[in-house]
Amino acid sequence: MMRWLLVRLAWLVVTLFGITFVTFAVIDLAPVDRAELAVERSADRDFTDPKKREEAILRFRVQYGMVDPVTHAPYPSYVRYGRWLGNAVRLRFGGPGDDHDELWRRLAAALPVTIWLGGLATMLALLIGVPLGAWLGLRAGSRADRVVSTVLLVGTGVPEFLLATLLLLAFSAAWLQLLPASGLRSPGSEHWTFVWQLVDFAKHLVLPVVVMASGPCVLVSRFVRDSVARAAQAPFVAGMRALGVSPPVVRARLLRHGCAPVATLVGSLLPMLVGGSIVIENLFALDGLGHLAVQAALQKEAPMLMAIVVIGSLVTLASFVLSDALHRVLDARVRLSR
Amino acid sequence: MTDVANIVVAPPAASVPRSPWRQCLLWFWVLLLAIGVLAPLVANEVPLMARVEGKWSFPAFADLFGRPGAGPQDLSWKQWWARLPADSEDLAVMPPWSFGPEETDVTRARLRPTMSHWLGCDDTGRDVLARLIHGLRTIVWLGVPAVLLGAFIGTLLGAWAGCRAGIADVVVARLVEVFVCFPPLLFLLFVSAFFGDSRLGLVLVMASVFWTSFARIVRGEVLSLRERDFVHVARGLGVSEWRLVTRHLLPLVRSQIGVTAAFCMASAVVAESTLSVLGLGPGDVASSWGTMLRQGSDLAVVGVWHLWLFPALAIVGVVVSCHLLADRLRARTAV
Repeated sequence: MMRWLLVRLAWLVVTLFGITFVTFAVIDLAPVDRAELAVERSADRDFTDPKKREEAILRFRVQYGMVDPVTHAPYPSYVRYGRWLGNAVRLRFGGPGDDHDELWRRLAAALPVTIWLGGLATMLALLIGVPLGAWLGLRAGSRADRVVSTVLLVGTGVPEFLLATLLLLAFSAAWLQLLPASGLRSPGSEHWTFVWQLVDFAKHLVLPVVVMASGPCVLVSRFVRDSVARAAQAPFVAGMRALGVSPPVVRARLLRHGCAPVATLVGSLLPMLVGGSIVIENLFALDGLGHLAVQAALQKEAPMLMAIVVIGSLVTLASFVLSDALHRVLDARVRLSR
Repeated sequence: MTDVANIVVAPPAASVPRSPWRQCLLWFWVLLLAIGVLAPLVANEVPLMARVEGKWSFPAFADLFGRPGAGPQDLSWKQWWARLPADSEDLAVMPPWSFGPEETDVTRARLRPTMSHWLGCDDTGRDVLARLIHGLRTIVWLGVPAVLLGAFIGTLLGAWAGCRAGIADVVVARLVEVFVCFPPLLFLLFVSAFFGDSRLGLVLVMASVFWTSFARIVRGEVLSLRERDFVHVARGLGVSEWRLVTRHLLPLVRSQIGVTAAFCMASAVVAESTLSVLGLGPGDVASSWGTMLRQGSDLAVVGVWHLWLFPALAIVGVVVSCHLLADRLRARTAV
């Protein structure tokens, strides 16, 4: 196990290089570079004169570390990548002229919202998905299984933004005005008592968490259903039955066998949650990472987007390694086969 | 002799009878794609062909390849057609759905579904069905190229990694791991922010997300098939490596590539409409379903339900049909 982990971690470094390289390449290959964008944005000032415009672009290029400050010759791309990487390792995703403290303040303010949402949604998805999948898996092929499985199949086809708008229409806008549509607190709630503030917070979280949990929940329940149904066909189950082990005990063994692989799903849940947070935080106006990412994309803010993309992919990579490790710990067949 | 014959013959790729369900789904998709390609001929405000004062013209076909010409006598085609006397020598053959996606008319703004406009009209009086039909073009020119490109790259690299173990396998495995780590929607957002509104940029990003699933599946299958007897026999008979892969191995992986393609198609549709809902979709696409949905959901609050419901149903329908297709195809491979 130790040896496996070390090899895996060594390869991780290569992957990390790849991730940073792709992220850098996207920005570096973009048809309009950052300096030109910055000039475009300040177009209302005196940049109509082409010469002044050129000078302004050059100033921004120096500021962003894209050209040599003295000779104004553009650095070759490997030098740019090397410098960018050197900065990125110190968590500075941009040029020398960018305000990195400000960037990290905004990231730090956004992170808790996304973690709360993602954590609650994962818990909800597992709490509903695993029992539902196990229940279906024990009844594989029955009418109930066929009906619910079809519903789940259709459920995979409902994009999150659709479900979100539907629930918004149903519960907060058009029909039942029960739940708040946006934000995490009601205006003026800071004067309320603590308990009411908590209730208010919970009410604001219900719709986003439900929408965010929907995708993972469907995925988990379908996965558990298939895995339990497969375990039910395994020879050891027939053996236990033949030996006269009581049905509840057989079922318990079978469920354990069938539900363990869920641990390996951690890896594929995380990209889903990241995608979900982008959609949901924007539709429900929550100030999380997803909201920040979309704002940065609309404003074409390169350092912020690079930071979010690198963080997002690092977390995903970590979850892949974690789920691989869990798979090895939980399943002796995987552990012994390599 | 019989022994050798048994060994040499590869396992049959399709041993299960064709299910009518799957055929229906496949034909449904063929129909969708055909309508998507030929959208200007199916729903348009200009005639398919018209005879004006003895001269024939084909404005809808012109629309298929560019812009249609202006209508006759300083009128738009639609006005000219509406005023055409019954006994005139001139004639026009209109498309099956005679409304265009950009044809505005204030008199029918927010029209509920009626007999003449089956799915109603939006704020500026554009026909919803016509816009939905033209929205299919997004699927055809965005989703299909992305999936095809992803499948091509993924299959090529996957087969390469599977056949040549060692360095090729390591390289492809690392590449896959790098691209799998980018959460797809975030990556799309990132690239579409900097490559602007171009459709090509979106196709490339989607392909760069999709190829990993193809590569993983093809690699795994080729690895397990490589040790089978028929492959050894083929090698022994002097079949070249390229021919071995393309003629002996890939046909057996075909239906799994199909399953993956169906899933990727579904996620392409979802990704495009999600980007449009967030206001970051491709700018050069006239009427995408996501854009319609975004505009519709603002009005759904005040009770104009049809602008939201129909695009929503279209998206869900297409995505679910992809998943069903994948499910059926997989049921075939499982047996």
